[in-house]
Amino acid sequence: MSAALQAFDVSISFGGVQALDRASVEVTPGRVVGLIGRNGSGKSTLFNCVTGFLKPATGRVLIDGRDVAGEAPHRIVRAGVARTFQTPRVDLKTTVRQAVLCGLFPTVKRSLMSALFGLAGARAEERELQRRAEAVMRELDMMPLADIEIGKLSMGRVRMVEVARAIAANATYLLLDEPAAGLSRAEQEVLAREIRKLAGRGIGVLLVEHNFSLIRLLCDRVTVLDAGRVLFEGTPAEVECDAQVLQVYLGAAAETSAIGGEA
Amino acid sequence: MIGKRRPNTLVMLALAAASCAVTSSNPVWLDISILTGILSLISLSAGLSYGQAGILSMAQGVFAAIGAYASAIATTRFGLSPFAALVFALALPALMAWSVARAVTWMAPLATALATLALGTLVEIVARNWDDVTGGYIGISGVPPIPGFEKPVVFNILVWGFVCVAVLLYENLMDSAWGRALNIIRHDRTRAIADGVAVAPLLSAMLAFSAAMAGAGGWLYVHYITYMSPQSLDTQTSISVLLMAVVGGADFILGPVIGTLLLNMLGKLLPAQEAQGLFYGGALIVILLVARDGLLGRIGYLLSLLRRKEPAEPKPVPSAVTAPEVAP
Repeated sequence: MSAALQAFDVSISFGGVQALDRASVEVTPGRVVGLIGRNGSGKSTLFNCVTGFLKPATGRVLIDGRDVAGEAPHRIVRAGVARTFQTPRVDLKTTVRQAVLCGLFPTVKRSLMSALFGLAGARAEERELQRRAEAVMRELDMMPLADIEIGKLSMGRVRMVEVARAIAANATYLLLDEPAAGLSRAEQEVLAREIRKLAGRGIGVLLVEHNFSLIRLLCDRVTVLDAGRVLFEGTPAEVECDAQVLQVYLGAAAETSAIGGEA
Repeated sequence: MIGKRRPNTLVMLALAAASCAVTSSNPVWLDISILTGILSLISLSAGLSYGQAGILSMAQGVFAAIGAYASAIATTRFGLSPFAALVFALALPALMAWSVARAVTWMAPLATALATLALGTLVEIVARNWDDVTGGYIGISGVPPIPGFEKPVVFNILVWGFVCVAVLLYENLMDSAWGRALNIIRHDRTRAIADGVAVAPLLSAMLAFSAAMAGAGGWLYVHYITYMSPQSLDTQTSISVLLMAVVGGADFILGPVIGTLLLNMLGKLLPAQEAQGLFYGGALIVILLVARDGLLGRIGYLLSLLRRKEPAEPKPVPSAVTAPEVAP
């Protein structure tokens, strides 16, 4: 089976609301895929189904061919699918270094017991984790921030810390939930550059985003959702030409994206 | 190895040595020191479960009671040596905590407190009524002292040795990926899941470990007093140790020990036992009003204020990610 993160015909409903109706999306390593749609179109729901935070009623979620639909979310993380949250969920009192260290948790091999008794293996692993956290921070140019509390950073940097934390454990797929929300134009450009760099390293990125200018800048493919269904799938250029998409989505979005940068 | 990377253990060793040295000549002080050490151990277990894992357990005193009963029964009825009985005193509370943890840890803190309170009451009812095994209201007397540690001076050293070992294990844990995972869970469980942490098993393991720590306290207690009854270690104890942990600073490894030292020693200076409730309640109100992070939190805050005066205020970080490298 091909290397890809795929969701096939995923459906889920909350009470009487059909949040997703046979929706599908596919990300391959090294590609950036955008997931767009109006508020309530099911973007975040699909995102949560793929990461295991929601269990789809029907449909399959495949990681490199293996069906993981309904598996516990921490197992899906360990299978190489990392995510960030729309509102960064961070302890503002921890430092950048600690946050990145937390992201390395899936790589921990030593048991709780050996940590408790401070066995040599556990201590060696802790030193190794510290080294790897530094490597991750260096790669994302964060070393100067290593020992600064996250609460003192700008929103753009907090989001980059979240990305660093997510990919620290060698994730193959990275799912970003509206990473540009609340960022200045300059910060968005930095973020776009970093996402491109990650894709260049072979990470498949799924991007939930409102800001179509960022989508156009970044994405290889775009999936458009409307009322839980896939309305369109294609390149950003094709999406912009599609009359249906323009009507239900971009018509409204084109105006907001001009000022959307500071939103 | 211990000095630089285990500062809390080092401080604890110094505290323990001081406590053993100062009290060795006076039998009354020695008694206070021993009971304070035992309470410190149970309070440490409350600090671990509440301060680090965020499980508001009102059953730590009861876990200690289970450990104490296990050892009392094993030594008096089955003739085991206290050392062999220690295995049961550690394992039984841990097993019990492990099995209730899954039911309890997903609850909100207040619900957890009530559920563990109910567990404590349940255990007390069983202890009162299971005459054949626990001795009912009368309890179990004639529990043998620990061979080689019969003298209070030596027993005192054993107690504080246990506290030091508990602090060392606790500090080892918090200096590892597992300790960090525990703190993420306390802060935000969804975040912990996204970091790949299996939340429920880790919380169960933590409650079990803290229960074993409390069980060790119960073991020391029962072989010191040589008597165990349903009133010996009860819900009152659970609440007291939690209070001591919060007063000292539950987030800090040594917070529970400091809180126990302070409250237990000062409590002993009070003229009447009846005034203790007043004293404890007052201490809690004062701490919640002036120092939400406990005494150690307050001290840490004051120290950080002092330190901040010397070097220049750290400049707000510029917003572009590609900041120039700052010299270390």
